[in-house]
Amino acid sequence: MLLGPSLVLSAILFSIGVVGVMIRRNAIVLFMCVELMLNAVNLSFVALSTAHGFGGQVMVFFVMTVAAAEAAVGLAIILAIFRHTKSVDLKNINLLQG
Amino acid sequence: MTGLDLLTPSGLMVAMLPELVVTLAAVIVLLINAWRHQTAADSRFAGMVSLAGLVAALAVLGALWRGGAAPLGAPNMIALDGYRFGAQLLILGASIGTVLLSLDYLERESLIAPEYYSLLLMATSGMMFLAGAEDLIVLFLGLEVMSVPVYVLAAFNRKSAVSAEAGLKYFLVGALASAFLLYGIALTYGATGSTALTVVGQRIAAQGIGTMSGLGLALMLIGLGFKVASVPFHMWAPDVYDGAPTPVTAYMATGVKAAGFLALVRVLMVGFGSAVDTWQPIIGVLAAASMILGNLVALAQRSIKRMLAYSSVAHAGYLLAAVWSGSQAGASATMLYLAAYVLTTLATFGILAVLGRGGERDVTLDSIAGLAQRRPAIAAALTICMFSLLGFPGTFGFIGKWAILSSITAEHHQFLAVVLVLTSLVSAGYYLPVIRSLYMRPPLNAEIHDGVILPGAARLTVALGVILLLVLGILPRLAIDRADSGARSFAGTALDRAAQARR
Repeated sequence: MLLGPSLVLSAILFSIGVVGVMIRRNAIVLFMCVELMLNAVNLSFVALSTAHGFGGQVMVFFVMTVAAAEAAVGLAIILAIFRHTKSVDLKNINLLQG
Repeated sequence: MTGLDLLTPSGLMVAMLPELVVTLAAVIVLLINAWRHQTAADSRFAGMVSLAGLVAALAVLGALWRGGAAPLGAPNMIALDGYRFGAQLLILGASIGTVLLSLDYLERESLIAPEYYSLLLMATSGMMFLAGAEDLIVLFLGLEVMSVPVYVLAAFNRKSAVSAEAGLKYFLVGALASAFLLYGIALTYGATGSTALTVVGQRIAAQGIGTMSGLGLALMLIGLGFKVASVPFHMWAPDVYDGAPTPVTAYMATGVKAAGFLALVRVLMVGFGSAVDTWQPIIGVLAAASMILGNLVALAQRSIKRMLAYSSVAHAGYLLAAVWSGSQAGASATMLYLAAYVLTTLATFGILAVLGRGGERDVTLDSIAGLAQRRPAIAAALTICMFSLLGFPGTFGFIGKWAILSSITAEHHQFLAVVLVLTSLVSAGYYLPVIRSLYMRPPLNAEIHDGVILPGAARLTVALGVILLLVLGILPRLAIDRADSGARSFAGTALDRAAQARR
């Protein structure tokens, strides 16, 4: 079966997402990295459901729905930030400090 | 109706009735908003309807609790025990308090958008699902239904760049935390073949904790650690608490934190109870780090709102110390301390909201100086809140800290107890200057406190909070018995057996 390689691929994709969140400073790119992490987890769920039955595949549908809701809210917030600062770069977003 | 069969749709519906009532109220408020969303009166009307919905949910919850509802057969998706009822009482209380604080605040800051209340109700239903989840799928969905509306609420003041920034930071960190939690769920599912917490608990007790389930547990702890703002996952909290509208800050500090901790207790007790030796050291380190760092950094803050944000990190540390003890007493202490913290925080932020303008970022020790001369009642209420946060005898906060300490020492452990006592002593260094400033310093100028008047609904919240703090501080049995009977829901879990064996 392809369970082992799929889990490794999913772990690699998840790690790329984490590293991306750590080193990139653009809000949109950060958001894309989080989406990559969520979809890496989806791959895990699908792979694992070959061993454990349909539960994992059902979970994937929930995750996709949640990711869509998060995208709608997240892009709206990024838009609101852009109206104020004319930038989506986190190094220009620094009113709150101290 | 003592027994409900959770495997039938009707039994499950009755078991979820409090959540369903809140969800229905959210939809009704959203519909009302579609027609009436322009004037301040519309906003107030939406607030009143949500208040009615929350009180109805409270009544349903009370009926279930008094009826002693319990599952007849196998557990399914949602817990039906005293701990869930107690958790939901806390969450509904926090939401009712937040609605009352918001009524006048939104008008004063001219944030006339009644969607605020339906978002608040949706987040409340998410919290209730999160705190009552008996299955990791419900846990994840509850967490998301809670988080997504709170992202919007944090960024709710569209005219303020600070609020938008708070929303963005909370959103990015929150989405990251959800991804970690989800990966943890996936690995736990992979290791045990199930997402039901009771089944996970049985499998882990049978096969021991392996690499995959251990990694799953660690990732879930990271995810929940972000939500409850424990060190080292706390860096978002001061900025977000600072920038968000004050009633929303109160909601994040009370509701989100309570729901996160109560879910954490259930996951650790029911799902990973037999692996207590694996997670106790991790939780212990997180608890000590949160207590030390939160209290020390709070000392250096100028703005009271930021100081309270760091103090909330410290309180997350105290709560983690209660979770660390991994016993029924620890679960009871978590619930009790959360009750004290919710009451105190709601009252404190209610007062903070009237002391400042434009997000309350300007409320400092200097600006509240001499408040006791002009507004003795408000100053007295704030003083009682500070004493309760400090854990001073006679207030409910003391009872909570005492319960945590006794749950730690019952495990024959000293280190966390010593850290807790010493850091509480440090916390006097930033709570007491607030009181000194209120009573012993002259006001900056004669007119500075003129506009400080608690509007009716906020006055009700603050007064109720302070009175409950004092009453439960003197008659703690009322609350302790409830928390203990809730924690008895965990009797017979793998963790409980492990705790018995250690004695």
